[in-house]
Amino acid sequence: MKSKIDYQEILKLINLLEEKKLTEFELEIEGFRIKLVREQSPRPSLVREQPSPSPSPPTPPQPAPPLSKEKAKNNLHYITSPMVGTFYRAPNPSSPPFVEIGDKVKKHQTLCIIEAMKLMNEIESDIEGLVEEILVKNGKPVEFGQKLFAIKPLSS
Amino acid sequence: MFSKILIANRGEIALRIIRAAKELGIKTVAVYSEPDRESLHTLLADERVCIGPAPASESYLNIPNIISAAEITKAEAIHPGYGFLAENPRFAEICEAEGLVFIGPPASIIKLMGDKNQARQEMKKAKLPIIPGSQNVIEDFQEAKKLAQKIGYPIILKAASGGGGKGMRIVTSPRQLEEQFSIAQSEAQAAFGNPALYLEKFLVSARHIEIQIVADKHGHVLGLEERECSIQRKHQKLIEESPSPLLQAKTRKRMLRAAEEAAKAIGYQSLGTFEFLVDQDQKFYFMEANTRIQVEHPVTEMQYNLDLIKEQIRLASGEKLSLSPSQLPQGHSLECRINAEDPHNFVPSPGKIDFLVFPGGPGVRVDSAAYSGWTVPPYYDSLLAKIIVHAPTRQEAITKMYTALETMTIVGIKTNLPLHLKILSSTDFLSGRYDIQFLERFLAQGKATQPKKA
Repeated sequence: MKSKIDYQEILKLINLLEEKKLTEFELEIEGFRIKLVREQSPRPSLVREQPSPSPSPPTPPQPAPPLSKEKAKNNLHYITSPMVGTFYRAPNPSSPPFVEIGDKVKKHQTLCIIEAMKLMNEIESDIEGLVEEILVKNGKPVEFGQKLFAIKPLSS
Repeated sequence: MFSKILIANRGEIALRIIRAAKELGIKTVAVYSEPDRESLHTLLADERVCIGPAPASESYLNIPNIISAAEITKAEAIHPGYGFLAENPRFAEICEAEGLVFIGPPASIIKLMGDKNQARQEMKKAKLPIIPGSQNVIEDFQEAKKLAQKIGYPIILKAASGGGGKGMRIVTSPRQLEEQFSIAQSEAQAAFGNPALYLEKFLVSARHIEIQIVADKHGHVLGLEERECSIQRKHQKLIEESPSPLLQAKTRKRMLRAAEEAAKAIGYQSLGTFEFLVDQDQKFYFMEANTRIQVEHPVTEMQYNLDLIKEQIRLASGEKLSLSPSQLPQGHSLECRINAEDPHNFVPSPGKIDFLVFPGGPGVRVDSAAYSGWTVPPYYDSLLAKIIVHAPTRQEAITKMYTALETMTIVGIKTNLPLHLKILSSTDFLSGRYDIQFLERFLAQGKATQPKKA
């Protein structure tokens, strides 16, 4: 048993990380711990940490937690504005709104219109679900990335 | 006068414009990309609109979102700052079409000056001396070779739609030309989507000296005394000063008159800068005109004790020129551009600023949007701060700058502060004997004299 990993073995681990498209890898043997982190850049960074006081079994590779901006704690899915403009709930002032709270919406169903530079842009749902909340009032300005609707997903 | 303007920019220049507008009693709207949520321009404007994600192409260059932001906030005018959309004639046109005032020259002038080759021909007609070179775009290598032979080496190849120092190559021999010509063409294609090149004589030991033009919409044009910008690396300016240690009084006068006449001839409006190369015999040649506020505008402001941004906003609202030709510059001013980059290899150094202390005291000005705890995003240019000093003489100004930079502290990221201190204490800089090649020579020397690392 070796107490240290040699250079060649570290290289092997780096290649494995690349090959398997892992973002993070951590291994601990007899108080020696190595952690490899691969970011967007193709070059993995090496972080050698201090030995921990008591040996513990090797930790299996852990996938990074999924980065989902749109999923909140209570499992709501948010539809955000892809542009800057004015938010309209209906195709024109005399028509009923596209959706109301409680409505079931399908994927690609139009939820609202954002007017930007005199153009009406239909904003669709990217998920099937129930309209839980409408976060912007009709006729109000919205900025890029602003939350417009909270949808409760039906599948899963 | 406007009651609300939108600033289509970020960083120190956005902040500079916000302050000027506030002083004029104008409300301000900042636009920002997602990583700029905590940036000072976002925090200090009266209103703010997020216009997109990190890449500039989707945020600070996103014309529909910027125009919509102006519409939803009811801004009357847009100040483009420098870079991004500042010299985009289409953006100026769209502003006009949407009933927004573009704080800058009319789209037609931006377009004219944007094509560097066309601009030179137009300026030649307006009697500005032009560096000997190709009348039109050079199509092939044989044509380039013939012309280079005629005007003599060294020559420089430039992208017709270039700017900011990109797409330029210096060629010293016919043999080198063959190789460099095709490289320059593909570089121009890659950077600007247009492989067109022009060729001109390269002046050895030339200085980069520019004249600030201020013009109203009523035909009044005024030139302000020069900014000397020869301390540059890869055509990126690092230190600017005024007056130039080189220029003789009569050359200065002739340059001012020539720039004013040329600006009048094309019906120039708003602020603009005419850039010249000046050789050792005090001969000056027009290079290009920039149709926007320049990064180094504070140098002129310190010399004349005026506010160019406020003047630019007033001019855009239709007011007449408030400056008079009798107003004269005083003393000496210097500007150092502090970049977030490694001073040895110039690699950008974004990241969190753990601790920051700016210099101060009489005659010291800081234009910056940086603060302790702020993270410099990696998506935009590396300009972190402009330190500007003003003193009665050049020597006093240099001493003041040295002291200011010595007492400036930035912890957490690398900056080019050490390089500035070295330049400021070099004999060539102190004596005022430098040209546009100075910095490259200086850096090469530094490498040669450095002890080799084991």
